[in-house]
Amino acid sequence: MQAFQTGQKSPLSHLTTSNLLTISARVTGPAAEYDLSLFGLDASGKLSDDRYLVFFNQPATPERAVQMQSGARGEKVFTIDLQRLPQTIRRLSLTATVDDGTFGQIDHAEITVSADGRPVASYRVTGRDFQQERAVMLFDVYFKDLWRVGAVGQGFNGGLEALVRHYGGEVADRPGPTPPRPAPNAAPTPPRPSPSPPPAPATPPAPPINLKKITLDKKGESTRISLKKPGHAEPIRVNLNWDRGGKRSGMFGRITAAADLDLGCMFVLNDGQRGVIQALGNSFGSERLLPHILLDKDDRTGAALDGENLTIFRPDLIHTVLVFTCIYEGTNDFTQVGARLSLKDPQGNEIAVHLSNPDIQRTFCGIALIENIGGEIKVTKEERYFVGAQQCDEHYGFGFRWVAGSK
Amino acid sequence: MALSLSKGSNISLSKEAPNLTRILVGLGWDPRVSDGQQFDLDASAFLLTASGRVRGDHDFIFYNQLRSQDGSVEHTGDNRTGQGDGDDESIKIDLSRVPADIAKIVVGVTIDEADARRQNFGQVGGAFIRIVDDATGREITRYDLGEDFSTETAVVFGEVYRYGTEWKFRAVGQGFAGGLGPMARGYGVNV
Repeated sequence: MQAFQTGQKSPLSHLTTSNLLTISARVTGPAAEYDLSLFGLDASGKLSDDRYLVFFNQPATPERAVQMQSGARGEKVFTIDLQRLPQTIRRLSLTATVDDGTFGQIDHAEITVSADGRPVASYRVTGRDFQQERAVMLFDVYFKDLWRVGAVGQGFNGGLEALVRHYGGEVADRPGPTPPRPAPNAAPTPPRPSPSPPPAPATPPAPPINLKKITLDKKGESTRISLKKPGHAEPIRVNLNWDRGGKRSGMFGRITAAADLDLGCMFVLNDGQRGVIQALGNSFGSERLLPHILLDKDDRTGAALDGENLTIFRPDLIHTVLVFTCIYEGTNDFTQVGARLSLKDPQGNEIAVHLSNPDIQRTFCGIALIENIGGEIKVTKEERYFVGAQQCDEHYGFGFRWVAGSK
Repeated sequence: MALSLSKGSNISLSKEAPNLTRILVGLGWDPRVSDGQQFDLDASAFLLTASGRVRGDHDFIFYNQLRSQDGSVEHTGDNRTGQGDGDDESIKIDLSRVPADIAKIVVGVTIDEADARRQNFGQVGGAFIRIVDDATGREITRYDLGEDFSTETAVVFGEVYRYGTEWKFRAVGQGFAGGLGPMARGYGVNV
């Protein structure tokens, strides 16, 4: 299965030989509802026939080449038969809209394209990919010489109306392609806890990435590693180290426990598998088995000379990995124990972070985001501080279920 | 009628337009139709020797250095939005004044702050490069990049190169990862 990045395109034949596609889509976020619609457009990209807008009030096209069904947990499933589609329809554009809120606030939107019962492509965006948009075009299946697919990820602040106008439809008062709102359900969806506001730049601007080989000239924020070279599966190594803590508070004060910092990561693999690698719960991962990410040990005190090491052995298999570190106990200040982290890729690029705290409440730090983008690894220095794993997860939109744990 | 090229193909400018001396390399793209971050695309040119490298940083023509030392290559200026019809940015080349040790002039387009804005060429529509005879205004050839790229943030659109005593143009359509910095470094510029 191929994980698409915004802007990425591919001939459909590179994914499947089938003309029968299933696209399942889901948006999660604070809004009560996110509507998914599929626009069937003509060669000039216009909705010239209202019957080819498939949405909750019109769940199929006349010849039923496109049909929509509801899946579990707000998911919508579109089944598409490209052969039965009239020749006039040259582009199918999957869109999402929201009435209360913006796409900058979503946790994530995720779509999966399947053919012959197996997933062939996926596309995932989070609130960070958007700003004030209230309607977004997510994914297109379109014909240009041959059938192609493309991840779009662009939207309109004006919501569904702007989207329909973009497609040349009319948004007059008549009951046209503008989907009227469904009657409110008897049982309103309980409001979700609103996501944390985007972390304000609470820290002074982070020091630029220390990239030994590459230095980006514009806002050194990320670097890319091509995996297309021979010997592609070289590991990415992350090391966290800190000084043995245990401060005596005053002359007769008790010596507190030594500082225990943890290194870990949240991951999504290209095959959709996701999880968390961390000492808590003994989820140390594995070198030889999926996810091919291994945490070497749980250094409870900072005594080990080489700290804690996390190795991503198969960067080619990952979709997204967020490397994090947090304080388990013994201190509430990263700086007090000189916490430092380094991430090295096979080409010798290095990201070095000396951890600081914007405030003592935020002892969970998302350090670096590693993304596999069409065979390239993109490493972005994050260094964002959160109160805990859950808040961090909400920011990045992995969608794990977090429970309190101890070791 | 201008000859439309496909990716990888080339054409002899000298044969198509005898007595050609000055050309205008026109580059175009569509601004984004949706809301969100503005796209700012920048054209740049590299004067390369036969070894495929610049002689020095002065052979890198871009928004902060609009003219080559000898004046043979001139960038007509930065367009920040892609608004307007026709060429969005253009580069003028006086073929008769291109120094003898320059074997080709590579023309590329990069997206400013692509990583920060999470943008790439897959989101840019209608990209083209065309060669116009500056004396007559006649379009000699053009290359529409169409579906030829997706997630790149820097793309070499085409190159004008010496072939014996002729000048030729090749439709390249080759993407680079990483934007202008890596592209410039790839040609030997110290950035």
